[in-house]
Amino acid sequence: MQAWKDKYTAYVHKQQQASPPEPDKSPLTGNLQADLQALQARLGDNGDLVVRDFQLFGAHQAVMLFFSSLVNTEQVREHVLKPLMAGPTGHKEIPEHMAGMIHYIWSTAVQVTQGTTTTDISVLPDAAVKGELILLIEGVPEALVLDMRQIDMRGVEQPQTEQVIRGPREGYVEKLENNLSLLRYRLQSTDFRIEISPIGTRTQSRVALCYIESIADSGLVAEAMRRISMIDTDGILDAGYIEQFIEDQPLSPFPQVQCTERPDKTVAALLEGRVAMLVDGSPFAVIVPALFNQFFQTVDDYTERFIMGSLIRIIRLIALSFSLFFPALYVSVISFNPELMPTEFAVAISGGRAGVPFPAVLEVLIMEVSMEVLREATIRLPQMIGGALSIVGVLVIGQAAVGAGLASPITVVIVALTTIGSFATPAYNAAIALRMLRFPLIILAGMFGLYGVMIGTILILNHLLFLESFGVPYMSPFIPGKWRDLKDTLVRVPLWWMRRRPSFLHAQNNDRLSRNVPAVHVDQILRQEGEPSEQSPADHNAARSRRHQ
Amino acid sequence: MNNLRQITTLRAAAVISSTIIGVGILSFPRYMALAGNSSAPFIAFSGVVLSFLSYWLLASLCQRFPKESLFVFSRRLIGRPLATVFTAVILILFITLTGITTRQFGDVATTVLYKKTPIEATIFLMLLVSLLSSRRNVVKFSYIHFFYLPLIVGSIVLTILISLKSVDLLNLQPILMSPTLEFWNGAREASYLFQSSFVITLLIPFMEKPKHAFRAGALAIIMSGAIYVLIVIASVGMFGAEETKLLIYPTLEMARSAAFGEGFLERLDAIFIIIWVISVYTTVYTTYYISAYLMQNLFALRDQSMAASMLLPLIFALAMLPPNVFEAYKWILHLGNAGMALMVGYPLLLWIAYFIRRAGKEASS
Repeated sequence: MQAWKDKYTAYVHKQQQASPPEPDKSPLTGNLQADLQALQARLGDNGDLVVRDFQLFGAHQAVMLFFSSLVNTEQVREHVLKPLMAGPTGHKEIPEHMAGMIHYIWSTAVQVTQGTTTTDISVLPDAAVKGELILLIEGVPEALVLDMRQIDMRGVEQPQTEQVIRGPREGYVEKLENNLSLLRYRLQSTDFRIEISPIGTRTQSRVALCYIESIADSGLVAEAMRRISMIDTDGILDAGYIEQFIEDQPLSPFPQVQCTERPDKTVAALLEGRVAMLVDGSPFAVIVPALFNQFFQTVDDYTERFIMGSLIRIIRLIALSFSLFFPALYVSVISFNPELMPTEFAVAISGGRAGVPFPAVLEVLIMEVSMEVLREATIRLPQMIGGALSIVGVLVIGQAAVGAGLASPITVVIVALTTIGSFATPAYNAAIALRMLRFPLIILAGMFGLYGVMIGTILILNHLLFLESFGVPYMSPFIPGKWRDLKDTLVRVPLWWMRRRPSFLHAQNNDRLSRNVPAVHVDQILRQEGEPSEQSPADHNAARSRRHQ
Repeated sequence: MNNLRQITTLRAAAVISSTIIGVGILSFPRYMALAGNSSAPFIAFSGVVLSFLSYWLLASLCQRFPKESLFVFSRRLIGRPLATVFTAVILILFITLTGITTRQFGDVATTVLYKKTPIEATIFLMLLVSLLSSRRNVVKFSYIHFFYLPLIVGSIVLTILISLKSVDLLNLQPILMSPTLEFWNGAREASYLFQSSFVITLLIPFMEKPKHAFRAGALAIIMSGAIYVLIVIASVGMFGAEETKLLIYPTLEMARSAAFGEGFLERLDAIFIIIWVISVYTTVYTTYYISAYLMQNLFALRDQSMAASMLLPLIFALAMLPPNVFEAYKWILHLGNAGMALMVGYPLLLWIAYFIRRAGKEASS
């Protein structure tokens, strides 16, 4: 190891020299020293680059080269170095000619599952930085490239941003292989396709595109591939980078792809005919197309029984509209149309506002902004401090603001309701869009009253109606309007009633339930348990088993 | 997926009916009461029938040219110069209609609910929203109407249902009246409200089944006609004909007196006005859209958004032109007359040209 000072002088010296040589397409020469030098020139000086020379079978000069940070050195010693140094073990003789040596080593000596041979020296540096081991032998113009990549990762944990009451507890981790195995494990179908290819000229991050071949619309898959293929950047560090390159309308506040940490959610989306993308190094999957109504749905809606799921979904929708409209409505009613309130309530409100020096719009804006500041401050704090701070913020500041006459009590109530409402929206990116949109609405309310709120609402709704995600209208299924698709929007009907996949995804295979499953009639649902069926016993059994699902 | 013919019959009907239900809904019962006292609902009904006939004249013609809009095939029927003149007249009509409709809206808004908002701001905001949404294609245009229609119809029907309990049937008798001049004037005025069904000419080239254009319009006119007749029944039945004549906005008064239980909200009319803003928006949006579309076609502009932007100052100036509410209403009546003449006369002319050409073609072959 050189000292840092030597490193510094060497670095400066190198910078003054000409730029490093272009990668040559030249084949391997077979001269070990020359090839090694060419390789090292490309890879540069790295602390974790291991160049190990040894005697192959005690007879031939050989070198192996790998990055110790990407490769498990213990496995290299056990499965590569040991057999190669020890000499032939089986009945096979070492070939006379050096030409057959690589093949001999691959087939009898090394115990590695994946590997290739190459004669092109220019691909070797890239292979090395991906975590592969390169074996060069004196006198052989060919290199053996062995996949020895092993990277330590955190284990599968419960997803932080999408917790569920009832449902799988597994979330994605950073490593792509792990995430794909989480998917394959849930979707054991021969139709499940995973296409992997690197993106990013520098990072070479592997991006996986997943879909179910017999379900997903081929047009959608092609469009997703086309958009991914257009990405030409030097680095993809997270699935969020992909999202920003492929979304339809970058200027819109609303997210047009769905991000999830949950493999089960991804599989559900794939089964509906959507396409998911995963990036190596990111614990998020990107699902397209994403629609507005997905952002207030959670896994719990489906794992819990349908009546409760539907009710909770409606409550979530109310919370969502709270977070968008409540402060604006309050401002316009207070400052423009107080006659809309019942008289006693109006008296109480004006009593509370008596000492407040600001107009209602300013008061609400100040309180809302400070609430946002508080939220942003606590979100990145360690949990122990965050909890304490939010209590200080909410209780102490709120109480003190009212006591000091800065805000009226009802304003504090409104602001609190707004914030809680926005936390009830399950998708963080959609919640933040709605939270930010309430500010223009408050300002419009302060300027034009209810009319301003109405105009703002029309603008937001129109924007949502015009928006598309991968060719699917964002407000589907409300528009273009198919009754069948409304089964999974504001309410969720029982699973055995959703016979078809959503039509707006143009799935190739539309049947969710087997066609043999008889349609359920209302009288069957309403019939008391244990009451005899008027239908044939087979139908009865089918209905019973369905009910027990 | 990229099929251009995406507008279903139901959606076309939604576009037409949400266009028809608009600013006129507030004062409509007064005009009907003025024309026919207690038989106001009957006059309104006759107006619906009248507009039904004029719509049939237009739609059945357009159905014969399922691939083109009216402005394209009229060139082939009556020649480019004459067609251009008529298109220009229609353009002027719709620009003025947009302006005056917005003005009416502004008048109501400032006098009734948004007293502190200057009328210029009210009008300008409404036009601006219409402008911003007029840049989109026809399919998106139909989405907007389809999405808002349930809101509009739902709230109006709810208000009517609530107020129906205070209707005194005595106020509505006698139901029928003899067809005097007043009767016909009233029916004609009622049919003005339905003139915007002209929008079907824009939709036909994008409809899934262009042959169903008439069906769509019929559905729309029946639905919105039913709403208008119900409103007249409710307000005349509630206040009586004589008092309805004295109220500037009888429908609003009706909503105002409809108490909703003990009530968290003291006045239902505010909710009504809020929803009414949407219904006005859909109406203004349609006429604005037609104007922008015609303008783009007429001057061969590259895109519709440019045409729409150029129209904004013009329409705004037109909206500010009438000096007061009464002038604005006089204007709208004149516009209605002109529109009636055009909406009946022009399709008739095209029909004649169509038959002559067809006869000529048959003779030559």
